[in-house]
Amino acid sequence: MTAATLTARLRRTRQARRAAAPGARHLRPGWLAYTVLIAATAVFAFPFYWTVVAATQPNTAINAVPPALLPGGRLTGNIKEVLAETDLGKALLNSLIVAGSVTVGTVLCSTLAGFAFAKLRFRGRHALLALTIGTMMIPPQLGVIPLFIVIAKLHWVNQLQSVILPTLVSAFGVFFMRQYLLQALPDELVEAGRVDGASLLRIFLRIVLPVARPGMAVLGMLTFMAAWNDFFWPVIALTGDNPTVQVALNALGNGYVHDQSVILTGALLGTLPVLLVFTLLGRQIVSGIVQGSVKG
Amino acid sequence: MRTARTRRTGIVALGCTVLTATALLSGCGSSSGGSSANGGGKITLTIDLFGTFGYKEAGLYAEYEKLHPNIVIKETDTENEADYWQALQTHLAADSGLGDIQGVEVGRIATVVRQEASDFTDLNTLGASSVTRNFLPWKIKVATTPSGAVLGLGTDIGPEAICYRSDLLKQAGLPTDRAALAQKWSTWTGYVGLGKQYQAHAPAHSAWTDSATGLFTAMTGQQAVRYYDQSGKPVYGSNPLVKSAWDTSVEAARAGITAKLTQWSPQWNQAFSTGAFATLPCPAWMTGYIKGQAGAAGKGRWDIAPGPGATGNWGGSYLAIPKTSPHQKQAYDLIAWLTAKDQQVTLFEKEGNFPSNTQAIGAVQNYTDPYFNNAPVGQIFGDSAKNMPVQVLGVHDGDVNTALTNALSEVEQKGVSPQQAWQNAMNNIANAVAQ
Amino acid sequence: MTQTATPPRFTVGPQRRGAGHVRRRGRWDVKYSPYAFVAPFFVLFAAFGLFPLIYTAYISLYRVELTDPGQRVWAGLGNYAGLLHDPFFWNALRNTFTIGAISTIPQLLMALGLAHLLNYRLRGRTFFRVAMMMPYATSVAAATLVFAQLFGRDYGLINWALGLVGVHRIDWQNGTWASQVGISTIVTWRWTGYNALIYLAGMQSIPAELYESAAIDGASRWQQFRHVTIRGLRPTIIFTVIVSTIGATQLFGEPLLYEGGTRGPSGGVSHQYQTLGLYLYDQGWSFFHLGRAAAVAWVMFLIIVVLVTLNTGIARLRSCDERALGRKGRALR
Repeated sequence: MTAATLTARLRRTRQARRAAAPGARHLRPGWLAYTVLIAATAVFAFPFYWTVVAATQPNTAINAVPPALLPGGRLTGNIKEVLAETDLGKALLNSLIVAGSVTVGTVLCSTLAGFAFAKLRFRGRHALLALTIGTMMIPPQLGVIPLFIVIAKLHWVNQLQSVILPTLVSAFGVFFMRQYLLQALPDELVEAGRVDGASLLRIFLRIVLPVARPGMAVLGMLTFMAAWNDFFWPVIALTGDNPTVQVALNALGNGYVHDQSVILTGALLGTLPVLLVFTLLGRQIVSGIVQGSVKG
Repeated sequence: MRTARTRRTGIVALGCTVLTATALLSGCGSSSGGSSANGGGKITLTIDLFGTFGYKEAGLYAEYEKLHPNIVIKETDTENEADYWQALQTHLAADSGLGDIQGVEVGRIATVVRQEASDFTDLNTLGASSVTRNFLPWKIKVATTPSGAVLGLGTDIGPEAICYRSDLLKQAGLPTDRAALAQKWSTWTGYVGLGKQYQAHAPAHSAWTDSATGLFTAMTGQQAVRYYDQSGKPVYGSNPLVKSAWDTSVEAARAGITAKLTQWSPQWNQAFSTGAFATLPCPAWMTGYIKGQAGAAGKGRWDIAPGPGATGNWGGSYLAIPKTSPHQKQAYDLIAWLTAKDQQVTLFEKEGNFPSNTQAIGAVQNYTDPYFNNAPVGQIFGDSAKNMPVQVLGVHDGDVNTALTNALSEVEQKGVSPQQAWQNAMNNIANAVAQ
Repeated sequence: MTQTATPPRFTVGPQRRGAGHVRRRGRWDVKYSPYAFVAPFFVLFAAFGLFPLIYTAYISLYRVELTDPGQRVWAGLGNYAGLLHDPFFWNALRNTFTIGAISTIPQLLMALGLAHLLNYRLRGRTFFRVAMMMPYATSVAAATLVFAQLFGRDYGLINWALGLVGVHRIDWQNGTWASQVGISTIVTWRWTGYNALIYLAGMQSIPAELYESAAIDGASRWQQFRHVTIRGLRPTIIFTVIVSTIGATQLFGEPLLYEGGTRGPSGGVSHQYQTLGLYLYDQGWSFFHLGRAAAVAWVMFLIIVVLVTLNTGIARLRSCDERALGRKGRALR
């Protein structure tokens, strides 16, 4: 009976939300909105477009005045050079493992802790929250040396966990999910769960997770991108022949001549998989954001 | 139903902790990076470099592995030397993550010799005493500690000359013949003077030289004592040679014969093909840079002549072995081979890196470069190398040089007064070296 | 309907609830489960966050060089005192504030506007949302090159365009204001879409009823935006303001790469755009003064604490709702 009540309440909420979805967006956008968005898209995407141009041109065409603005025909040549200089396949696989684990771990840990900080009352939560926000304030550059000492003591140098685990400490994620749930999760829902005698874990799984999903999707995207593009720490922690994409790209275009078209070809090959994933899965992830709540 | 749900909640609840714990456990048992002997009795040597060596590109590793079937070579390369150096310092501080072989740039070698000698192997203990005489004396000397330990073997050096665009010089009515030019710019004053002549008749948007900072670096590269004296005392503020290089560079900047570019910036790269400057002080490796930036269109337009003073050094590197390497002997054999005559000759002809090995210098004596109008680069750079002084390198050479060249850029690009800029440089150096 | 039955929830005070609702077997659960929820984060933090923090504090009291970390000379508060007398430190502090101000404020306002537009029923909304992520996905190498070329003094696109309207060539690298505006442009470019997505996620959770009732009350679209959207987004806005403040104080990557990386951490020939993050890096990695760099890190830390406290303090003053969130309001017993 209790479970039934709970489910019913939840279903009603979802229905309300789904009905609500067009509500906030009941007005169709005018041409002005499209103009602004298209302009913003052009500005945001231009460096990426230019990466494509550079990757299909020889180095000298990029340095010409004015530089080449349309794609050329040198893509395969540049790709060959990239593959000759780095083991991009392994790097891509490593990056996938690293960014994937970091994303899953961060989103899970952050949602758990964010829920606790947003909606639960326990001794010391103010202090712990302050500590969490405090960790965001530590300038990351200096932590590198002590962190590396920890990694070396654990014999993790050049192993993927040396990049994964420290990156999982995401105060940002915890804070983000807390603020999100503070706003998105009605107290009454949690209260209802309590009244029905559900354990906190069950409330978390049955009530919090569905509501948290849009926030988790955004956090997941941002985390994945950040982990994929992380550079400063992996270059130090990973040596030898176990690179992530960014570490591999760091070795590209070497020599006194920094061959920018080869570097940018590497950058393109390194970014393309991420963009593909987000464009293909984007519909799901993004529609998660749109609907307010995905089918649980 | 009930049990299934419980189990699932348990799994998710513990998910994070388990994830953490597994990773912690799996990590503890495994070995760290670096070299290792694998199953087939083969020894893997790791060689950790930054973007200038060209061994892999020239096929030298493959050749060595063929000669030594029990060796496998793994190279890690970092494009940017500053990133590389930072990682190396972190690894040294933690005594972990080092390769069997580490590259060291000449600007950093004094730091290694003065402050990190205990981290690197004295190569004499591995047999280097029999090969050190093959190198230019100064090259080995600056890598030797006061107690006589040799911490690195020399790879390339950067003997200086002047690269110039003969087409632009011709347009301005100047001679384009190497010997005539070398004679006219046999001193830096002559170089600046000829620059003023060029500027008076130059094509539009074309300056005599790229930057005041390149000029300054080339000039100080010719001085035996520049920023520090033999005893290690800083003399950058009082050395008249440094001051005269500064004054000459300031003169060039204020006469408007520089293109006001920042070396290594994207604008500088562009300028190689636009003709924004007609000449530049040119260490041997710069020839490779010009080819890469100016491309096929620049072939035949560029030429090389001996520069003012016909000598000087700018850049070059070393290979060193950290004490943490478990394969000291094998690592030494590899660096001895890589820095031996034949390999250095290959690297010069393929990559433009000029040899530091005297036998190799002799062997490339007659090499000419078709890109640079068949200039006798082997001879020009060889002569420049022959006259090179033994330069005293200090621990903070790099910081001093950055401060002085930044100050020159202030004069050149912002119009700051030379007195003010000099003072700024001194303040910056004090800030950098302050304990 | 739970939501329509109650007044808008962000103005709701403490909910009626009592111990009677909590069953006995739930006591243990309520008391200790929250700790289990936050434990994974804090376990990781203890391992990889706390030690670096303490180590940094310890190091900041010594004179120690990166090239020889074993050799430590006690300096007490000497490193901190040294900072106060260092004009380069004050310069970096000033730059950090000016760049922070010119980058953060327009960035958040634009993000809010974009999020609002993205919240419409758009054609091709997936496309636009992926586009918001582009700056974040673009590799640093590519972004650096593009901006270095855009802001080029001689051949740059921006100066060329300014020339068309008769504005004299601007030296985006050497001018103090020009370079700071240039860097702020990169910061704004990189983080606007990011913040827009965060706002968008927040907007999705604002119930439609609020808009409907506001519309019935005769609120214009602008009033709806102000009174419904902005108020509903309050926790998210506070979040982005705090995160942006922290980010601005730690600003590092964009100025480091501004001139194609050629200036390193010096922040321009006259340090005209050297931020505290670059100053720290300069001290630690160019000069190897580890102790001093650690002191800079702690000073930055303190500055951020003050700024964040001010931010939240202001937010709290302005919002009775926030007080409710703070202590008892939403907490579950």
